[in-house]
Amino acid sequence: MAVASTADATPAIAARRDWLFLSAAFMSAALLAALVLLDGQPASAALIALGFALGVAFFSAEFSFTAAWRRFITRGEAGGLIGTLLLIAVAAVVIVPVAAVVPGFGGAIAPIGPSLIIGAFVFGIGMQLANGCGSGTLYTVGSGAGRMLVALAFFIAGSVIGSLHLPAFLALGGVDPVLASHYLGPWGGLAATLISLAAAAAAVVAIARRRGANYIPTRTMVLGATAIGIISIGVFLAGGHPWSVTFGFTVWGGKIASALGVDLTGAAFWQWPGPKRALADSVLSDTSSLTDFGMIFGAMAAAAATRPFGRTPWPPFKSLLAAALGGLLMGWGARLGFGCNIGAFVGGVASGSLHGWIWFAAALGGCAIGIRLRPYFGLSRE
Amino acid sequence: MRLTYVIVLLLALIAVVFDHLTSPSSGGAVSPEDFAGACAPCGAPCPSTQTK
Repeated sequence: MAVASTADATPAIAARRDWLFLSAAFMSAALLAALVLLDGQPASAALIALGFALGVAFFSAEFSFTAAWRRFITRGEAGGLIGTLLLIAVAAVVIVPVAAVVPGFGGAIAPIGPSLIIGAFVFGIGMQLANGCGSGTLYTVGSGAGRMLVALAFFIAGSVIGSLHLPAFLALGGVDPVLASHYLGPWGGLAATLISLAAAAAAVVAIARRRGANYIPTRTMVLGATAIGIISIGVFLAGGHPWSVTFGFTVWGGKIASALGVDLTGAAFWQWPGPKRALADSVLSDTSSLTDFGMIFGAMAAAAATRPFGRTPWPPFKSLLAAALGGLLMGWGARLGFGCNIGAFVGGVASGSLHGWIWFAAALGGCAIGIRLRPYFGLSRE
Repeated sequence: MRLTYVIVLLLALIAVVFDHLTSPSSGGAVSPEDFAGACAPCGAPCPSTQTK
């Protein structure tokens, strides 16, 4: 019976396949990979391919930090959050020890202070208004959600504004990164990271049970989290650092602003060695941009392989306004908070860095505010 | 929406290729964290080196 169903379904899926966007996705990714390969950069091509795989995985598993956090806050459902913690645990098994002992590799670290907390909190508000975080914005843009094109445009603008404000917020003070492996060694750091993840999982399960809600992730969620965790290990091995998303947006925005005649070279952020080089060099020299491009095209391919691409109508104006405001807040918040769910939370915790947990707590608080604001834009609180 | 996507995709690809061909590419892809003194994924300095 199952075989017959599959056989019946295959022509139906093939009939819905959108060959224009499916081929455009593969050809675009291949074009960018060819450009970096011509420069003799196989690791860069690998990052594009891994980003492509991430786009496929996110789309196929419908993996959403934003919806998972919203369901946890509004209904106590913890399955999505447990899936996220599983993803981090998978990535941490490689990232913590390798970053600690292998030269050329490093974890995702960040200072702990007002900038981190304020940025993550504002990001949390934005992700509920936009209905997607950094990775969510990328894969929904790629999969044909026009609303998220608006969110991405304002995300990019917000991150450039945030880059101009970050030095002032850093001047408010803070402490240097706290990394488990610095204190406990590579294996002790990994043990501490996994124990912290288990403790967080136990806490969210306890909350879910108290609220009478489900806390068991779906099979699709478990498979998706595991696949994304494994691919993010590949990104780490190819790029030397945990997967990050939002710095790419800042670079794109900086380059667009420069092309429009805005001189960013005098801004403190753009004088730091990393951003300075990223602004001057090819956008394909930035690791986060490479995976970002790959992820958009991967999601586009996955979407176009299963349905007509971009056929849905534009949403109401209030929904687009929420996407714009949410994108702006996420961009600004990501710069002040040193990343998004991927770069700060997943990357930070998977590196054994304390800032990842602080980012999570602050962003969850922001999400609670964002959920309350959603009805003003015609969006459901659920 | 499809037309919007076609236009955005084409403009983005042209911009990326133009930027790549007209900008220096000094070695392999890097993250801001690869540079000395970086204390965050965006390359921000550590508080201990920033104050005083």
